[in-house]
Amino acid sequence: MTPAPQLYLIGDFNVDTFARYLANTALEGARVEVAQPSPVSAAFAAGPPGDGWTAFVWTRPEMISPAFQRALNFEPFDNADVIADVTRFGREVVGFARRCRAVLLPTWIVPPFVRGWGVLDWRPGLGVASLLARMNLALADALGNEPSIVMLDANRWMTTVGGRGWSQKAWYAAKSPFTPDLLQLAAADVVSAIDGFGGRARRAIILDLDDVLWGGVVGETGPLGVRIGGHDHVGEAFVDFQRALKALSRRGVLLAIVSKNDEAVALEAIDRHPEMQLRREDFAAWRINWDDKAGNVAAVLAEMNLGAESAVFVDDQVIERARVQSALPDILVPDWPPDPSRFRETLESLHCFDAPSVTTEDRGRAGMMAAERSRRAAAAASAGVEEWLQSLAVRVAVEPLGDMNIERAAQLFNKTNQMNLSTRRMTSADLAAWAASPDNLVLTFRVADRFGDSGLTGLVGLHIADTDAQLVDFLLSCRVMGRRVEEAMLHVAIAQARTKGAAALRARFVPTPRNAPCLEFFRRCGMREVGASEFMWSTGDVFGRPPSVTVA
Amino acid sequence: MTSYERALALVYDAIDVINTQQPAAMRLRKSPDTVIVGVGGALDSLGVVNFVLTLEEKIAAGGTTLPLLDDDVMVEHSPLRTIDSVSRYIAEHLV
Repeated sequence: MTPAPQLYLIGDFNVDTFARYLANTALEGARVEVAQPSPVSAAFAAGPPGDGWTAFVWTRPEMISPAFQRALNFEPFDNADVIADVTRFGREVVGFARRCRAVLLPTWIVPPFVRGWGVLDWRPGLGVASLLARMNLALADALGNEPSIVMLDANRWMTTVGGRGWSQKAWYAAKSPFTPDLLQLAAADVVSAIDGFGGRARRAIILDLDDVLWGGVVGETGPLGVRIGGHDHVGEAFVDFQRALKALSRRGVLLAIVSKNDEAVALEAIDRHPEMQLRREDFAAWRINWDDKAGNVAAVLAEMNLGAESAVFVDDQVIERARVQSALPDILVPDWPPDPSRFRETLESLHCFDAPSVTTEDRGRAGMMAAERSRRAAAAASAGVEEWLQSLAVRVAVEPLGDMNIERAAQLFNKTNQMNLSTRRMTSADLAAWAASPDNLVLTFRVADRFGDSGLTGLVGLHIADTDAQLVDFLLSCRVMGRRVEEAMLHVAIAQARTKGAAALRARFVPTPRNAPCLEFFRRCGMREVGASEFMWSTGDVFGRPPSVTVA
Repeated sequence: MTSYERALALVYDAIDVINTQQPAAMRLRKSPDTVIVGVGGALDSLGVVNFVLTLEEKIAAGGTTLPLLDDDVMVEHSPLRTIDSVSRYIAEHLV
């Protein structure tokens, strides 16, 4: 079971109202605590309440930089003083973040009625708006490489709700100037960030076709008669929506189709319509037929190796949305507007895709799924499993954990469910700290075959003390499961244990609702089951590399 | 709809907002006899301030400015004492 999030709020103004909204609505069930009123630096020095806390640090720019206060007062100020103040604060945040699971900071804003120098307010060296933008950029630069810190765009919150986001009366009365409308937007970003750090960002969007990706019913209009593009505001809205989906796929979100249609006709529209922005290769999976949509969604999820909690379902029909939501309670089914001109904004208002980092593997995920389809086609055409595995020419490259791969390694810890021995959820900072112990060793595995490069998709964590080696972590992305990479990883882990002087490698399986495939693997891999979910291999015996896999 | 009913609807709107900040067991009931300020009320001082400011905003959205966060109003026998009394107070001042 996922532990309840723990959120620690630090502010240089009253953040109690926000804490109450988070604890009782947005993050109901979470532990939410507020730092004692004191300078932020004192809260940093005191540290979070314990291990595993995410901190939310909300400050005012004039409190961080006295030089910015002078700018607000129209007194002479030095730009360099402001940036020095920000850089100093950034260093404090970085130090504090090492003691937290993650740190979230809203960007600095000023009350919406502050006009600074009016029409001159963007003049460098003079204007408040100009200076505030520099401060936010300087802070982003100071924090940029810290994977456990994210800045949240408070300016977007204020822009979205307009002047209604700030109450000067609330400031005077309670030192809490933000209205419930703004706090609701802030909380949505906090929830997204916490979900992202917890590996709960959604990873796929499953789409209907008629009146979702294009206007009209393709079965009636024919493949070239659907409404998309052209000199038509409705057609333009569908083009824009498809472009937004394509952009989303470049962030690593998979696209899939579930539609009641004739498959050949629908795919012809996707392949041949000149205005279509999404083509067949942009989709990781599809089910286009007249079957029940809930069953089709489940089939598409299985094909993508994802659970319902990782996906969003979009359909223009209320009844289909209700059917899928009822059959798959964990899938996110947003209310979908009937007006296509609102499709893009509805898509972009979904917070559920926010991940705390973007890796090369994320950006290439759509291409990897296309390669997977080719793999499946090859499997179907081959005479048997062994022949297929030989034909894949799987290559595994073993790399130690380092600065270049730690972000992706941490992502694997937080996203891998099925082939996961102990399901430890770790941030990159946690992982770096664990790997720094001389008794621990982390190895990562890159996997490629003749159809493409799947990237860093495997990891083992070993704890070696005297003559005993413990396989603490054994993670493999579901994308590469079943290609004998599992055996290759075990081959490497046992060889490492032997090299380090261990007489045996032990593994203890920690069950979760999702990792039964891992237990099945350990039961069939040849390791001796020496207790309930405990496995052992004597390193005096060689654990052979699977012949279809090369290891470098 | 009478002035009182319009006022009551505004108060209930404000309660919807404030209840998002309250633990489930301490949420305000949408009933005229629910106590807001004083003995028996579920709101602490910050909760009262947030409720009153939210209510002021709801009233202002209808075009009427009615300051409620005022020493004359926040007294022992305050018109803010219950949902019924605050609704009557607002109804008297609604344009």
